[in-house]
Amino acid sequence: MGATEFMVSLTQADGGVFFAALGASVAVFLSGMGSALGIGIVGQAAAGLVIEEPEKFGRSLVLQLLPGTQGLYGFVIGLLVLGRLNVGMGALEGLYILAACLPIGFVGWISGIAQGKAAAAGISILARNEEQSTKGIIYAVMVETYALLAFVVSLILLNAVSF
Amino acid sequence: MAIVKMTEFSLFAFDSEKENLLHELQKFEYVHFLDLEQDEDLTEMGLRSVKVPENLVAVDEDISRVNAGIDILSKYHHKESGLKAMRTGLSNYTFEELEEKASEIDYMPIYQNVRELWRKREGFKGEKDKSRLTIEELKPWKTLDIPISYLENLQEAVLYIGTIPVNLQEMLVENLSGYENTHYEVVGEDKDNAYIVAISYGDEAENVKENLRNASFAKVVLKGENKPSEEIEILEEKIKLLDDEIEVMDKALEEATINLSDLEITYEYLNNKKLRIAAAENFLVTDQVNVIKGFVPTERKDEFEEKLKATLGNIYYLQTNDARKEDRNTPILLDNSGFVKPFESLTEMYALPRYDEIDPTPLLAPFYLIFFGMMAADVGYGVIMLLGTFLVLKYFNLKEKTKAFIKFFYYLSFSVLIWGFLYGSIFGGIIPLKGVFEPATDYNTLLILSIIFGFIQIYYGLALKAYIAIRDKKYKDALYDVGFWYIALTGAIVYLLNMVIDLPEIAKTISFYVMIGGMVGIVVTGGREATGAVGKVGGGLYSLYGITGYVGDFVSYSRLMALGLAGGFIAGAVNMMAGMVADKGPIGFVAAIVIFIFGQTFNLGLSFLGAYVHSIRLIFVEFFSKFYEGGGQKFKDFRSKPKYINLR
Repeated sequence: MGATEFMVSLTQADGGVFFAALGASVAVFLSGMGSALGIGIVGQAAAGLVIEEPEKFGRSLVLQLLPGTQGLYGFVIGLLVLGRLNVGMGALEGLYILAACLPIGFVGWISGIAQGKAAAAGISILARNEEQSTKGIIYAVMVETYALLAFVVSLILLNAVSF
Repeated sequence: MAIVKMTEFSLFAFDSEKENLLHELQKFEYVHFLDLEQDEDLTEMGLRSVKVPENLVAVDEDISRVNAGIDILSKYHHKESGLKAMRTGLSNYTFEELEEKASEIDYMPIYQNVRELWRKREGFKGEKDKSRLTIEELKPWKTLDIPISYLENLQEAVLYIGTIPVNLQEMLVENLSGYENTHYEVVGEDKDNAYIVAISYGDEAENVKENLRNASFAKVVLKGENKPSEEIEILEEKIKLLDDEIEVMDKALEEATINLSDLEITYEYLNNKKLRIAAAENFLVTDQVNVIKGFVPTERKDEFEEKLKATLGNIYYLQTNDARKEDRNTPILLDNSGFVKPFESLTEMYALPRYDEIDPTPLLAPFYLIFFGMMAADVGYGVIMLLGTFLVLKYFNLKEKTKAFIKFFYYLSFSVLIWGFLYGSIFGGIIPLKGVFEPATDYNTLLILSIIFGFIQIYYGLALKAYIAIRDKKYKDALYDVGFWYIALTGAIVYLLNMVIDLPEIAKTISFYVMIGGMVGIVVTGGREATGAVGKVGGGLYSLYGITGYVGDFVSYSRLMALGLAGGFIAGAVNMMAGMVADKGPIGFVAAIVIFIFGQTFNLGLSFLGAYVHSIRLIFVEFFSKFYEGGGQKFKDFRSKPKYINLR
């Protein structure tokens, strides 16, 4: 079976619901993993700070929350896919949805970790020079730009083509 | 715009008048001293710098004493609960009131009393801890029915008293049972250790010792005279007495907290005094004359001169002139009115403007307001923020800085509200509301709107760059660095628009040539500061390469739409989860309310945090990079930053 024939057969086959569900899973679990790792990294750094200076807990919590957004972006994409699932979905549509989920899945995963590291470094700004700690937040947010871009693309891809 | 004009002054005054002069200037407040130590012109003329002014050490000692007193007393001070404390806030003083109040206070007896009480209390507490420890040590030996002093005074026999690991106990018992002149007892046992007393006589003693050593025996020295159980009783009695003593001290310290505010006032007063004395480090001196240089705001120049005349009579020399534009030492004081004022914190966070730049605060404020609202867009969140900030501002007595911060969010809440209506979102759609946009389907419109905002801001930033260049009479720079970019960017944008919407063929052609023209202009002029033909061409091409940065800038504004959408979707997801359990009986209904409140609160915090920092990013990276550098020094007024009071 040649490539063209394969594609044609896909357009006719159903069972796309599996691929679509796989897409939702990928969007949620990859970005969720990134956020979990990122938040974990910051949490470890913050815990060391709070031993000496418990009053900085609030500000350290803000820094810790920053890598959490990737997981939420993935969650939103996952929910949107959920709204489109139906049993008779074509295989091609299912694969398309899977493809649309990849940007936020992968970028969310890696950027969550990277943002976690940047935010953990921000914790040391908070430890030594509290007044400047907002700058640590901004450094960490720079990383998030790319998660946001991936989210936008996933979102547009999801809505751009209707089958 | 709103950088306060400064006047530079040089003042020569007699050393004998120094203290009085500094005191008066501190009352005046708006003086910024220059550190003259680096001024080589003056030092070469034989003027000396003052290293550590006399009295400074004494004031430092006073401050550390007052500080110690405050530290102790604040442990005993019953603070009012959070809300109430914020309502009352810190007391307000003018500088004169502070000085008058401080002069009535003699802090030394207060301090000595507090320190003495505290020292005694700590002594009692140390003794108590020691007794506790001894009790812990004695506890396992409680069943030992012989006075401890007895054990120490054995003449012929050898006594072994100590612990072995529990698991070796059986082996030891077996080994020791063979000896005739040895008596041993396992007095007690806990999770890890068995407590052993063995007494041995004559030749056996050495063997017993060997056996004990094999069982990892660790020797213990018991403290005291009497039987362990009696000893424990005595110690417990002692602890009770000590507790009473500590309580007496605590009571006395608690009573002493009425003096806490006196100490705090003294602390503020002394810190201002210290600042006054330390200010002399900035001066240069001869044997009799002080040379002082610094800045005062031009609008207060007359007041300043009057003050000097009143203090020094006629025996001084003063020279003033307008601060020079390019002087990096000129301190920066921003002055913006009502609405713009709270946004100064953003400018300060990036960097204060240099004296020859413009204050970007009024320029960034409208953009920040729009961006924040677009990213947090929700009527519900807007109302919560508006009410919260309004009530805090109305009923709470806040520090100046906190007040500005709350006001900042007060203004922003209006934008959140308006965008909430535009998006038709109340807590993520819990109440249906027809907005102008339907975020879930109109995201393309929103994306375009975001890019348009970016377009406006970037073009505005470039226009400001041109304005600064023209103001400084660098007309060519304005054309080369802004004009050509306008031409190239506009051409490129129109040309690219052709691909999305149908424009007449002629527009396509014109825009293409306009773009090329602009680009040629950039390549030709971009490297004008480089030397040599290769350098000029290279510099020009590199400037043109900067166009990729503009692509990134425009795309970056898509976050305006993305964050607004993400926040809306998350709020929607929370409502969905709450909805799933809501119709499952009364428990389900309660659970739904809990999910709704927690979820929405979480999303509210996240939305505001996201909107706050991402708006900052757009301002700092995309906007400021076009026209603003910053790097000015902050105007340091001649007052110490108060900690316990509001100083006006």
